Amino acid sequence: MSDFVFATAQYESGDWDSAPLLPANIIDTVARYTSIDVAPAGVIVPLSGSALFRYPLVYLTGHLPVRFTSAERANLRAFADRGGMLFVDDHNHDVDGTFHKTATEELRSVYGPLREIPNTHPLYRTFFTFPDGPPTTSHELNGWGDNLVHKTLSGVERGGRLSLIYSSKDYSSEWNYHPENKRFLSVDNTRFAVNLVVYALTR
Amino acid sequence: MRSRAELRPLVEWLLRAALVALLGVALWRSTRAKQSGVEHRTVVTGTLRRTLEDATRSPDIGGVDLVVDASPSAAELRWLAALARARLTVRWRGAPPSLAVAADRVREPQGAVGVSLAADSGTTVAIGDSAGALDTLHVGRGGGGASLRAPEVVGAVSARQGAYVATAPPPNGQPPRAALVLGRAGWESKFVLAALGEAGWTVRARLPAAPGVSVSDPALLPIDTTRYDVVIALDSTAADLAPAVARFVASGGGLVIAGGATHLDSFRALTPALAGVRLPGRILLDGDTVTPAALPLRPLGAVRTDAVVLERQAKGLAVVARRAGQGRVLALGYDESWRWRMLGGASGAEAHRRWWSRNAGLVAPEHDSSAPVRESADAAPTATLVNVLGPPAPSFTAPRRSPSRSLPLTLLVLICLVLLAETASRRFRGAR
Repeated sequence: MSDFVFATAQYESGDWDSAPLLPANIIDTVARYTSIDVAPAGVIVPLSGSALFRYPLVYLTGHLPVRFTSAERANLRAFADRGGMLFVDDHNHDVDGTFHKTATEELRSVYGPLREIPNTHPLYRTFFTFPDGPPTTSHELNGWGDNLVHKTLSGVERGGRLSLIYSSKDYSSEWNYHPENKRFLSVDNTRFAVNLVVYALTR
Repeated sequence: MRSRAELRPLVEWLLRAALVALLGVALWRSTRAKQSGVEHRTVVTGTLRRTLEDATRSPDIGGVDLVVDASPSAAELRWLAALARARLTVRWRGAPPSLAVAADRVREPQGAVGVSLAADSGTTVAIGDSAGALDTLHVGRGGGGASLRAPEVVGAVSARQGAYVATAPPPNGQPPRAALVLGRAGWESKFVLAALGEAGWTVRARLPAAPGVSVSDPALLPIDTTRYDVVIALDSTAADLAPAVARFVASGGGLVIAGGATHLDSFRALTPALAGVRLPGRILLDGDTVTPAALPLRPLGAVRTDAVVLERQAKGLAVVARRAGQGRVLALGYDESWRWRMLGGASGAEAHRRWWSRNAGLVAPEHDSSAPVRESADAAPTATLVNVLGPPAPSFTAPRRSPSRSLPLTLLVLICLVLLAETASRRFRGAR
């Protein structure tokens, strides 16, 4: 039985499936670098259903405004209470964008205020070491979106563990390519995803 | 016929003879009193202390018959036993109830206090501590015991049945507890760490995520009882540390073997039972909640003769424990207990946390108790009574007062009067 299944959150508003190639790429990365038992295919899990609790790490992204239903909010609250971790990435890479504004508002209502994750956090050393914090993406460097290089991620800790990680760096665009194309990269840009997975599985 | 003057010497002679006879009686009485012993008192529990004080000061009390109508304190019993060894004849009778109480701290960081009671079947016993009543326990017809768990107690714990009281010394404090978790990076490891951490355990872990790469806490080794109470082996990644873990258990540490670790040859000498083939858990429909019965299980078999089965499911044995060396070992047949936490509904996380903390506590060693033992505390008064004074006497008669060693006042007055009369008679007739 596979220990780890990559799960993408499906929510009723917005375009939750905006990065369809990302799961396969991350699964390939986890299998490539670690000995973690990983399922060969990811799953799509509705935020409002009980299936959410089968996948303690869930990835959520989109471009469009996010409005959680009351069932989604309640489920997410319980998910966090029981120890689940949610990784949210702004596919717009734009702090003035609608996704950022609405998603952070919704997340605040469920998790409480988001705080900056310091770049010395164990998240950046748990497998690969990222001494400068979250790795930059090409979308940050080429001036798209808000034309900013975000130095940190933000999140919420519960009981000394991150239960929410929010990224404005647009990893959804950065990692949304077929795994076969990694061979064209001098440095694998999905390595930070290994840290996310290993952190979720060990903390 | 003799004149009065002639009779006077005869009377004086008779008075002297009477005086000698009275002195002889007095001498006989004093000798008899020394030989026949002293006062033998019958007392009830309420007046025992005063009698003990009297008996310690005065040698006139030669025996005590104790009618037990309430629990004598441990100090009174020890006092009585000391006097009995010295010179006192002690007997007792009565029908005190079988009553014993124990209060032990559960071996977890925020450990509650477990109160265990032994009492006669069909009785009701009030349990309390120094602050007041805790609860009332009823001992059923079938068994001779009952128990309760109190979050905390103040001072000694007592069990009261009528006038009889058993008092257990206060349990020791709550020492910090440390656990080492050995397992691969995965949901089971993560949620065992979370459960123990939330329950107050200090948790360290070594969780391999790739060949040569482990997520682990610094200064993990050595594994010894000064650093850890319990080692939890969740899968085969614990194999390389098995010899150190075996030494840890032999010296008094606790070991929990779960999941894939139940198949490790390295733990074969320690494990209380061997795990069978993994049986899948119940298929969950939308909205179903997970309980331990729905988890995947490796049924435990080949249970050692010295092992104790603690949990069983329809599919087989789930939790088995045994002592190994100075330590204890627990084998868990459940797999993927994390699903209980995540899919166990509103109470699943709490239940999972308590279950893991309890399992670790079951094998954790007992830390030295530094709680002072109260002088008057007696956890099993009836047993102590029999132990100190022997079995009860079938019956004893009412106390009989022995002749006093001192001369009675009437005898003394009589002697004085006879002596006075004889002397006066002689003096009045001019004789010396």
